[in-house]
Amino acid sequence: MIRTVKPKNARAKRALEKKEAKVVENVKQALFIPGQTSNKVLHDVMVDLSSLKKPNMKRFNKKNNIRPFEDVSGLEFLSEKNDCSLMVLSSNSKKRKNNLTFIRTFGYKIYDMIELQIAENYKLLSDFRKETFTVGLKPMMVFQGSAFDTDPAFMHVKSLFMDFFRGEVTTLQDVSGLQHIISVTIAGDYQDGETLPNVLFRVYKLKTYRSEQGGRKLPRVELSETGPRLDFKIGRIQTPTPDMVTEAMKRSKQQDIKMKKNVELDSMGDKFGRIHMGKQELQNLQTRKMKGLKSKFDQTGEDDEGDDDESFVTADDIEPAAKKPKH
Amino acid sequence: MATNDFKSLPVTVEKPIPVVYDLGNLSVFDSNVLDRNNFDSSNAKREEHLKNLTRDNTQLLINQLLSLPIKSTTDSTGGTSGQSSTMSLLRLPEPMTELPREKPLPKPKAPTKWEKFAAKKGIKAKEKSGKMVFDQASGEWVPKWGYKGSNKKLDNQWLVEVDEKVENTDKELIDPRSLNRQERLKLIKKNERQQKKNSRTA
Repeated sequence: MIRTVKPKNARAKRALEKKEAKVVENVKQALFIPGQTSNKVLHDVMVDLSSLKKPNMKRFNKKNNIRPFEDVSGLEFLSEKNDCSLMVLSSNSKKRKNNLTFIRTFGYKIYDMIELQIAENYKLLSDFRKETFTVGLKPMMVFQGSAFDTDPAFMHVKSLFMDFFRGEVTTLQDVSGLQHIISVTIAGDYQDGETLPNVLFRVYKLKTYRSEQGGRKLPRVELSETGPRLDFKIGRIQTPTPDMVTEAMKRSKQQDIKMKKNVELDSMGDKFGRIHMGKQELQNLQTRKMKGLKSKFDQTGEDDEGDDDESFVTADDIEPAAKKPKH
Repeated sequence: MATNDFKSLPVTVEKPIPVVYDLGNLSVFDSNVLDRNNFDSSNAKREEHLKNLTRDNTQLLINQLLSLPIKSTTDSTGGTSGQSSTMSLLRLPEPMTELPREKPLPKPKAPTKWEKFAAKKGIKAKEKSGKMVFDQASGEWVPKWGYKGSNKKLDNQWLVEVDEKVENTDKELIDPRSLNRQERLKLIKKNERQQKKNSRTA
């Protein structure tokens, strides 16, 4: 735990408030840490991955002696210090060549970890023709392969990459912001017991052309690769504890959409409300005010008066009769 | 390729197993069969296969996205093109894929000492009655407190009755107007003390 002092000025207070747990969370920040055995390849790959994650990222330049599968305290410290819940640690060894460890944290504690080793045929951003897209856009994502729904290792990969790159959760998306797509593919189907196939990570830029078949609305989509092009081999995996999963998947009641009573949406998206009115008392309706229309001059009461037992009418009798006409 | 070449190309894609969309995350999941040979690193056409596969799925995703309800705004701030004064925004549904939170849900605020006491005794919160109150004497609505508040009525009186409580004590000779003011300040101080105490225990 990092010692926190009570903030003494407004800026420090705001900074601490920003770190606090929120109902609707901010975009997860990523932290790129070079390990002690990092090398040029890993550095370049981390620069490219971080450029995809911009601006929600921090990248360290100095090497850190962290072995995530042996001691997690260093990682948890860095996660809390930098308020980052996604971490990428690079390391290289004979056994695990060009290895990136993707770590997720929950409440500054390690949630899960997965090792992805970069295969030899990688290509960096700079190796492609300079086709760029705007920084910080929400990418589209495609996951190809049935194992993304069945195999726990690939489910982990899918959840990780979605979490990593999805950016801000929004209800409104600019059409011109649909510029690039991240494609994650399993290199072929496999039988149980076989070694897991690689995960192919590609980034493409979209090009849309007007098509005769699609009419005005739907364009023909073509892709051009922008990189980085990475083939990942899955290494060691650490899964979250069941307690942590239930805690991390909790949703607040505030987030659930409340069904409002008597409010409906029709198929066109128009909103209709049904309201209930009290009974309209036309008897007591206030019309134009003038002497002749005063209630004591009402004639309905006087007509009934004649049927009453009383032989003569006094001024006192007229008043209540006028207020409550008999029918 | 020239732009004209794309005019005749289809905008629809047929898949044996229909793909699954998560439009809230702008994602599409394709669980169709993938041939291992296509993606072998020795295969020369590997990247082409991959690109075509991704293109088909992107086309499907774009078709779905563009058929979502569109909201147009005239606000150009935040637009990526910069030039356009109108923006068409897609209304995305809620994301479907469950992803872990970054931090645990915020804990509810600790009840204050009064709230605990009220819950124990079953005291319900007072109904909001508003700040203004009707002054019978002047026939006007005046605030309960603050500038020209009704709790400051005594301050400008030329003659004030001595309170029964104060009678025959050492405070009898003090100006009742200033006594009234002191009482108000005392209440404020007391409330501040309670607030501090609550924030310490919370």
